[in-house]
Amino acid sequence: MNAYIFHPFVLPFVLGMAFVLTYCVVGLIRTISQLPKADRRKFWRSLVTPKTAWANIRDLFGDCLFHVKIWKRNPVLGYMHSAIAFGWFMIIVIGHVMLFTLKPLEGVDVEGLARTFTNFYYPIFYKHFAAETPVFAFLMDFFLLMIISGILIAVVKKIHSKIVGVKRVTKFGLADTMVRLALWTIFPFRLIAEKSNIMAFWWLYSIDLMVFMCMLPFTRYMHIPTEALFILMRHAGLQAREPRKGYALAQLYSCPSCGLCIDACPMSVNDKMSGNTSAYFMQKLRKRDSEEAKRIAETCLMCGKCVAICPVSVESCDIKWSQRAATPYYINSDHSYLEDRHFDRPQGAENSPSVLYFAGCMTQLTPKIMRAMKQIMESAGEVYEFLDKDGGICCGRPMLLSGKAAEAEAMIKKNTELIKQSGATKLVLSCPICYKVFKDEYHLEGIEILHHTQYIDQLIKEGRLKVKKGDVNYVYHDPCELGRAFGVYDEPREVLESLGNLLKAKSEKELSICCGGSLGSFNLTQQQRDEITVNSVNDLMFNHPDEIVTACPLCLKTFARKSPVAVEDIAEVVSKQL
Amino acid sequence: MKENILIIGGGAAGMEASTQLQKMGLTPIIVEKSEALGGHVAQWDRLFPAFHPAKDVVDKMLDNVKDVKTYLSTEVVDIQRTADGFKAVLSNNETIEAKAVVLATGFDVFKAERKQEYGYGIYNNVMTSVELEEFFRTGKDQRINNPKKIGFVHCVGARDVKVCNTYCSKVCCTTALKQACEIKEVFPNAEVYTFYMDLRMFGPGYEDLYLKTQKDFDVKCIRGRVCEVSEDMDGKLVIKAEDTLFGKPLKMTLDVLVLMCSMEKNKSIDAIQLKLGVANNSDGFMQNKDMYLGMNGTAQDGVFVAGACTAPKSLPDTIGEARSVATQVFNYINSK
Amino acid sequence: MDFGFCLSPSSHVKMDSVDQTTFNRLKETNPDINTCIACGSCTATCTAGNFTEMSFRRILLMLQRGKEEEAKKMIQRCMLCGKCTLVCPRGINIRKILLDITR
Repeated sequence: MNAYIFHPFVLPFVLGMAFVLTYCVVGLIRTISQLPKADRRKFWRSLVTPKTAWANIRDLFGDCLFHVKIWKRNPVLGYMHSAIAFGWFMIIVIGHVMLFTLKPLEGVDVEGLARTFTNFYYPIFYKHFAAETPVFAFLMDFFLLMIISGILIAVVKKIHSKIVGVKRVTKFGLADTMVRLALWTIFPFRLIAEKSNIMAFWWLYSIDLMVFMCMLPFTRYMHIPTEALFILMRHAGLQAREPRKGYALAQLYSCPSCGLCIDACPMSVNDKMSGNTSAYFMQKLRKRDSEEAKRIAETCLMCGKCVAICPVSVESCDIKWSQRAATPYYINSDHSYLEDRHFDRPQGAENSPSVLYFAGCMTQLTPKIMRAMKQIMESAGEVYEFLDKDGGICCGRPMLLSGKAAEAEAMIKKNTELIKQSGATKLVLSCPICYKVFKDEYHLEGIEILHHTQYIDQLIKEGRLKVKKGDVNYVYHDPCELGRAFGVYDEPREVLESLGNLLKAKSEKELSICCGGSLGSFNLTQQQRDEITVNSVNDLMFNHPDEIVTACPLCLKTFARKSPVAVEDIAEVVSKQL
Repeated sequence: MKENILIIGGGAAGMEASTQLQKMGLTPIIVEKSEALGGHVAQWDRLFPAFHPAKDVVDKMLDNVKDVKTYLSTEVVDIQRTADGFKAVLSNNETIEAKAVVLATGFDVFKAERKQEYGYGIYNNVMTSVELEEFFRTGKDQRINNPKKIGFVHCVGARDVKVCNTYCSKVCCTTALKQACEIKEVFPNAEVYTFYMDLRMFGPGYEDLYLKTQKDFDVKCIRGRVCEVSEDMDGKLVIKAEDTLFGKPLKMTLDVLVLMCSMEKNKSIDAIQLKLGVANNSDGFMQNKDMYLGMNGTAQDGVFVAGACTAPKSLPDTIGEARSVATQVFNYINSK
Repeated sequence: MDFGFCLSPSSHVKMDSVDQTTFNRLKETNPDINTCIACGSCTATCTAGNFTEMSFRRILLMLQRGKEEEAKKMIQRCMLCGKCTLVCPRGINIRKILLDITR
């Protein structure tokens, strides 16, 4: 063929590109076919629904190209990623634009399949083959330099990650390291090839691209194509069912192993424990290291911070849950002894109470909270009843966290029965763990489910509860199951502001650090949990408050062990200042 | 030559060490942060195992130190090493120069509120062993109104990783049985129960005390750790424990619950201890050189320790250590 | 000496032939299990123990005395609520051990 339209050096690129495109298409078909039928239908429908379609477009640009979420966490990292992603996208786009506007192939004798073949590689190697206008030349150079600036930051991050503000980075294997090297050298080669036109560099550029494309499906860079599919599936509202299939599979390969979750995870206080973070969980699942994946899944505190911080919005806690569900164990719960329990109405109670208070298992060990709640409800003149005064039935969430939903059925059924029997219209809970399960898994129609912080906030706003303002400096800890899970951030803060001075912790709201006492983790030992607690306490003490205020009895007990200042539940603080 | 020896703490250890040091011809100076000498033992009513009045022993110790220079209601606020000893600044702005320092600061009682599930400070009729001893001394406590059922909980704040005190506080088992007998003396028709994990009766006459509790006082010992305390509608306490020997959990209504609180190191000495360079051991008490021949020494030259500041101790142990620290100090002074 | 007849199986625990495989397996993954002092806090606080016979202390003991089947039957009553782990004075990770027994 004409020397102006073909040279053997384009072949490596073409081969690599063909391989990776085929792989992606096959993978796409496989992943979608692994979805259960109902999910598949949901998915197809979501592609044409205007609301989700718009969300898809917005995220495809915002997340895949501009990495908006990373910019929010760390601007330097955000620039690094978006420079490479957006820059590369633009030079490909502009390459194709040049092909169609400048028409370099006009008048050249090439037909049919050969033409398609040429159009395929032309935009990538344009400069070798054809001339460009000054505008295009400028644009191409601009984006190429943008990419290279991003790569320079990546090199610096590899040498000394703390400069760019990242404490721990994911450890990579040989394949990942090789591919990263390939990626880093692609653009410098292109730059040199374009400026000097030395054939060796055009060859190197093309071979580098081939290496990258061929190895991409087997390394973390698979996230580039997979993220697009994941975004579409996410907006369709799907859920992970099995740890290595369907929706979970899309997430597994969308994870770019960026390592942001490592710093976020409360377990990363300690080098050894940081091997339990989500990035490594995803890695083990990908590598089919099922023993390790199982172990990490059961060590996770399920606090949700990695999900909140993930730039790709991977729902790793759901995948870990599906991993737990897939792990066999044979408790074979027999909760038939619950069947003949019934709710004994206290003497003299004729009408149904308006509020049913469910303390929860953990609150039995923190009687101060129960006493405070009683005082608050009495002060507000509420007609209430205390469901588990003499020890009740567990809400079921700790059993659900072990992954075995069927085992919790008897408990949930009995509790639902008892709650409905009481005739109350409001269910107030002191424990966020209970709150989550009552909201998500129970079917309590017609009953308003409130955490006690929301309930107290309601009472104050309705004027049924009057509190005095004091002078103490409080800091509030957002419990994982109340904050990140339900976004209940403001009600407790408003209550505290009417009681004293509210200071800020170093990490607040969705970034708050798990106390370490979570029932989500099965494998952590007491010493390991202590390390996590100490780290969380130091974060809370950042502005030197007089007292730490919690909204969860488990957090209360956990912090009380290691805190240098007093720790109280928000109900206690309120009841002291009625 | 009369050399000054700074004794920080005027309890049993401080007083006995001073008595001996004075007899040896040195000049002990006691600095005591509270208003009177005597430490914790001056607040006790009777001592185990034979119900010996504490006042007897304390009065004798006080008499022995009547000629020793003493600062009451005073704390050491600063201390520095000098060329031939130490220079301490007191809270009354006086300065003392001494050739050696003896830390005899003793213990603090574990704050029972930290074990929230026992309900101290929440329910009216939960009290600590220290408060019960006060009741024996004065005969008055508003929580004790002719109780019919009294319970004692062992190991509150000890042997418990959940309050970060994994050590055994040594004397609470013997104290619990002693107090169980004493309360039975005051209320002979009451039922007295103790809830223990182990019964550590380690000294001479202690096992006899246990026999006495069983034979003469009919105190019922149940092997099981109380884990939750709540109140019933009449304001009586309801405890939950497992009767491990019987193999079933049990619930019981009590009128009074006494918590046997553990010993912790006295924390008011922390700053001075840091200045002197004496570290804490893994139980949070002061680290002495070793348990055997080095029990009165520390890593620092010229700084000695005696009494409950290094570990929970009984009174005989404390007096023994106080006497031995005197010899150590004496030898140290003469070797310089 | 063999007298030629014997009474129905003795109710003594035959420590010589007790099968401690499960307990030994647990010891490897959870070395803390040896530190149990049988204080009974776990049983006293147990949510299920309020309604039925459930005692983790007893379960551990059953494993050490060769009554594995009974132990597994008792485990079926557990609600996995976690109170036992929260009160254990030796810091034993009871919830995990319970799940490990049944694996």
